[in-house]
Amino acid sequence: MRTIRALGLAWLLLILTVTGAAGWTGTASASEPAAGKVYQIGTDVTFAPFEFQDASGKFVGIDMDLMEAIARDQGFRYEIKPLGFNAAVQALESGQVDGVIAGMSITDERKLKFDFSEPYFDSGVIMAVRENDSQTRTYEDLRGKKVAVKTGTEGYRYAESIAGEYGFTIVPFDDSAQMYDDVKGGNSVACFDDFPVIAYGIQQGNGLQLTDEEKVAGASYGFAVRKGQNAELLRMFNDGLANLKNSGEHARIQEAYLGEGAQQASGGGWNLITESLPYLLEGLGKTLLYTIVSLFFAFLLGLLFAFMKVGGSRFLRGVATVYVDVFRGIPLIVLAFFIYFGIPQAFGFTMPLFLAAILTLSLNAGAYVTEIIRGGIQSIDRGQMEAARSLGLPYGKAMRKIILPQAIRVMVPSFINQMVITLKDTSILSVIGLVELTQSGKIIIARTFESFTIWTTVMVLYLIVIIALTKLAERMERKVRHG
Amino acid sequence: MGKIRVEGLKKSFGSNEVLKGIDLQVQPGEVVCVIGPSGSGKSTLLRCMNRLEDITAGSVVVDDVDINAKDTDINKVRENIGMVFQHFNLFPHFNVLRNIAFAPTELGKLDEAAARQTALRLLERVGLSDKADAYPAQLSGGQKQRVAIARALAMNPDIMLFDEPTSALDPEMVGEVLGVMKSLASEGMTMMVVTHEMGFAREVADRVIFMDGGYIVEEGPPEELFGRPRQERTISFLEKVL
Repeated sequence: MRTIRALGLAWLLLILTVTGAAGWTGTASASEPAAGKVYQIGTDVTFAPFEFQDASGKFVGIDMDLMEAIARDQGFRYEIKPLGFNAAVQALESGQVDGVIAGMSITDERKLKFDFSEPYFDSGVIMAVRENDSQTRTYEDLRGKKVAVKTGTEGYRYAESIAGEYGFTIVPFDDSAQMYDDVKGGNSVACFDDFPVIAYGIQQGNGLQLTDEEKVAGASYGFAVRKGQNAELLRMFNDGLANLKNSGEHARIQEAYLGEGAQQASGGGWNLITESLPYLLEGLGKTLLYTIVSLFFAFLLGLLFAFMKVGGSRFLRGVATVYVDVFRGIPLIVLAFFIYFGIPQAFGFTMPLFLAAILTLSLNAGAYVTEIIRGGIQSIDRGQMEAARSLGLPYGKAMRKIILPQAIRVMVPSFINQMVITLKDTSILSVIGLVELTQSGKIIIARTFESFTIWTTVMVLYLIVIIALTKLAERMERKVRHG
Repeated sequence: MGKIRVEGLKKSFGSNEVLKGIDLQVQPGEVVCVIGPSGSGKSTLLRCMNRLEDITAGSVVVDDVDINAKDTDINKVRENIGMVFQHFNLFPHFNVLRNIAFAPTELGKLDEAAARQTALRLLERVGLSDKADAYPAQLSGGQKQRVAIARALAMNPDIMLFDEPTSALDPEMVGEVLGVMKSLASEGMTMMVVTHEMGFAREVADRVIFMDGGYIVEEGPPEELFGRPRQERTISFLEKVL
């Protein structure tokens, strides 16, 4: 009975927190109190000049400016969800967002799943190589080499289509900056990407150059909604786009990013670090927040399942064992995808990102915490429980006053370890678009292409926090040990 | 009070039947020592007296309460049955005083001050007044076991169970523990003692039970059981240990 009540309590807490937090994000993200619908628009985080964050952390780019102008023209409200390209497309498929604007090429394949707007940008694919690479001038020079591409892009499709002919191997990446870095690092000799993206990158000093190969005419970019849904939104986008083209604003927006006068991103070095730091620290704050909240729930889950594991009921023991086996066995990244994309698609509802993130981390860490607590409890000599019970103490009291105080001393080092692991694991959630420290770093690199500086800063920030927390925990551990 | 009646008690661990049908009565104030080779089931029998082991068949009735009955509050029963373990099982995170005062206060038998008084009185009785503030890790084996006895006595039980209380002690410490037990016996405590201390059994027990292979083979007053054992197995066991 006791265990069942504890189970109910834990769920109640979970639900309370979830609903509480839902209210909280609601007020934080919506720009005005909801009168009409606020469309959720998914986008990439790393696709300059179409979408990227400027130094102040604001999302800018051709797509962003276009969206803003169209919304103003048509009088609808929207909220940008910078998820990353693949995540945004999956989010649209599973109905997590209403539309996607992410330099998304209109292809026949995609038309099966999405309805596209009129094209708003005519792209094309081009090859780029390292700045000081004078060897690789044509496709012929790629034979036997590796070529970096970005998954799901026109560049990928084009590279794939000529890979056999020119005898090169494709190496897929998730964002442009990583792809460029692979070329700069020499692992791949060339990359294929949409012309405006590469052109913008080169202009910003990403360390690449164009070759003798001309750009191949590619597909056009369109705004996408899920097939058969949000027809109203699509209509407004098309109407707005037509108006902007007539007024000349459409051309002005493109010119602002691709023209001669386009702004240079800041230089590298200390300037970049000091400029990025506030943004990275904000990401770090999110990392800590998600770590703490997740560990809290992981602890509740761990407590619950650990007591089920050491308890007398064979059924509850079985349930707890299944829980631990399942969530310890699933890679965190797969669990994140499943919870954020899989479940909403199957059941047709929208899963808030923070909820998916916390569920993922809590369920995963909860499995480990279960084992930590179970191990701690079982490490205490059986005679302790027997002595307590023989005095007439009920099980719960004996557990709380005699077993747990001793077990906690055994558990503390493992808890510290789990805290460090969970803190680092939050970085994995960047794959579903959670803007924590790692994702913040990725976003800055997307704009500046300064991999070394930013990843170094990110590493140092992780190390500072983890070492500080570990020291603090060790001090607490000493206190626990010596009463 | 402090009366135990065991009828047809059987206990199996999985397929291993350890107790194969035990009938036994302990009268109030009686001191019963249980002897026998290891594996004979004597510790298991003792642990069935306060339901640290659930029984397979039969009944254990303590002061007219069937302790294995569904509606029995076993915690209430245990308050009246003190137990002393071979390995002391003191609470290492409490000091000596708290070890003793913990259960009476926690179970609402005594308030904080009264429990403290009781603990100090019991410590004096077991000769450890100066150790009230020590932690178990700072005590010798004999001292630990005397604290464990005081801890059990703090609940003011009518019955005390001793599970090989001196087996884990260095020889020179056996005496101090047996001394405390002897004085308890002389004050009329109902005691059931599983022991290898034949001298203690001979001197203190009202009755000695010899167990082997899950049965009570023979029982009687110590002078009879030690002086004129009737059963072959008893004789051969006593030959080995005496």
